[in-house]
Amino acid sequence: MRVIFSKMVETFFSSILYVFLFFSLYLEVFFLITFFEEREKMSVVKPTNKLSHYPSATIIVPCWNEEKTVSGTIDSLLALNYPQNKLNILIVDDGSTDNTWHVIQKFINTPQVSLIKKENGGKHTAVNLGIEESTSELVGCLDADSFVEKDALLEIARAFNEDSAMMAATPMLVVHQPKNVLQKMQQTEYHAGAFLKRLLSPLDAIYVTPGPFSIFRRTVFEKIGLYKEAHNTEDMEFALRMQKHHMRIRNVHTAQVHTTTPDTVYKLYRQRLRWAYGIMKNTLDYRFMLFAREYGLLGMIALPLSFFGVFVFLYNFGFILFYTVQAGIAKSVEVSVAGLSALIPRFDTFYLNTDFMALLAYILFGIGLVIIWNGIKLAEGRFRPSMSIFYFLVLYGFIAPFWFMRAVFNVALSKGTKWR
Amino acid sequence: MRKTIESKKYLLACAITIIVFFGALLVSNKLSAQRVAEIKAIENNISMDILASETQFALLKDSSCKAIDHSTAFSDELNTLSQKLSYMEDNLGIDNPEVISLKKYYSILQVKDYLLVKQVKEKCGAKPITIIYFYSNKDDCVECAREGFVLTKLRTEFPELRVYSFDYNLDISVVKTMKSIYGVRNTLPALNIWEENYYGFKSAEDIEKIIPQLKRIRAERERAEALKVATSTRK
Repeated sequence: MRVIFSKMVETFFSSILYVFLFFSLYLEVFFLITFFEEREKMSVVKPTNKLSHYPSATIIVPCWNEEKTVSGTIDSLLALNYPQNKLNILIVDDGSTDNTWHVIQKFINTPQVSLIKKENGGKHTAVNLGIEESTSELVGCLDADSFVEKDALLEIARAFNEDSAMMAATPMLVVHQPKNVLQKMQQTEYHAGAFLKRLLSPLDAIYVTPGPFSIFRRTVFEKIGLYKEAHNTEDMEFALRMQKHHMRIRNVHTAQVHTTTPDTVYKLYRQRLRWAYGIMKNTLDYRFMLFAREYGLLGMIALPLSFFGVFVFLYNFGFILFYTVQAGIAKSVEVSVAGLSALIPRFDTFYLNTDFMALLAYILFGIGLVIIWNGIKLAEGRFRPSMSIFYFLVLYGFIAPFWFMRAVFNVALSKGTKWR
Repeated sequence: MRKTIESKKYLLACAITIIVFFGALLVSNKLSAQRVAEIKAIENNISMDILASETQFALLKDSSCKAIDHSTAFSDELNTLSQKLSYMEDNLGIDNPEVISLKKYYSILQVKDYLLVKQVKEKCGAKPITIIYFYSNKDDCVECAREGFVLTKLRTEFPELRVYSFDYNLDISVVKTMKSIYGVRNTLPALNIWEENYYGFKSAEDIEKIIPQLKRIRAERERAEALKVATSTRK
């Protein structure tokens, strides 16, 4: 009786896993097809370095205790390949308690730069103040820990010129000078993410306009209002609000922005917990979009994936963990009896795992590698093997479940997250 | 205008996914079938070996024992077979009809080998070093996995040792007869060494105590190796 029951439980859980594997495979195939459709447009060759029209632009740099990085951020903006009379930089000090205000004084005499100091009210209030102050055609934001490539704004302006229906542009985010293992792991994660975002772009399914250098037409704010607090992920809420109004958001992969990433596990955990929690809460706030054909691929695939994907990820992780622990116990019994020689793998193709589930895992993993490969190619022009890929493949699956689990827990208990 | 959902693309992705998904299932089944065929081939080999040895034994009944070649290499083959079978049991499940059929055949082969070895040794006046091991894959035997590892280790170290392992619950008359001949109770793991039953987990040391020859074999081997090293150094 016990045997039959445990067999039934096992069958139940593996059936769920097979359904998940099928859908994961479907999504990967779907993205690959999109990739083949978009391949030609995804080259990094820039046609010319000049534009027929340079729309005026304001870049808001909200800062709160960013004394170490803000100078570099402003310097990178001043070095942009864009006419000086068309670019305004607005630094908004959101009540910093460190030396930020003093540090930015050095730009006081730079004609393109304006400085504003306000009481601390959260990032969205700082950006909103900047938007209200601006008068340009394009308005964007750059986090004070990010740095733009010389041609980033030019590339985005070109995209706006070419597509009059485009209301917002997101850049390609890459990790700024990855130093330790954790940052290198994030480098590959960002590369793969950049590739997927680029694919979501022509499908009208982008649901985040990230803080580092997302640029909007002014009219967007006039039509749908300013940023909201939105569970500390105002950049996701704003993108969803735009999507609700069917405003076009495009990813301009030729506009590269380097962003500083957390260098300790704790900082990474805090950041990702905020993101995961924000994604889930904002999706719940905009749940009318889920599985609604009116919102195209965003409603049918991208948004459900970002929400339910957390659960699928955790389920798969739990499954793998269960079997790894089980196999680990069996192996330790073998080692305790037969000695360390039991750890030497048997080099006989007979013992290669070719279970249905294992084969599906190999295929999913293989397509995952194709995504990473193309992400690196998109960011760096060509594929280069690096330790970052190895760190990503080995580490990510072990540490991501922690913030996902906590995010699910917090959403269930409606427990908010903090910025830092 | 928002990009509309292109049904064609969704269907194409769906078709490819179905092909890959079920393709993987087919490939996996095919590879499993290949493994089963590989095990069957090993079993056929062993069966032929046994038949050859039996025939040789019948032919040479009255002549020298040395002429009968039922070597220790044969034990290796049984060893590999048992490892592969247990791997298939883990993968396809203990209730898989193919696995059960392979196990039944394996059990019969073991009994045939056991009888032949016994006859040969008796004729030559030697006592065969054999262990008959009864195990269970069901939840009723917690120590069986450990005992299995001990026996595999001993079998690798002493090719002279022949271990015959039987699934206590296997529904086949040969195993049932073995159980009744040796009066093995359902207290597993159970070992039968020189017609005496030992119940519960027995470590390699315990078994070496029961079969002192094993220690002697090891000592002899070490002596021979030392001699070999000494000779080669002198050269």
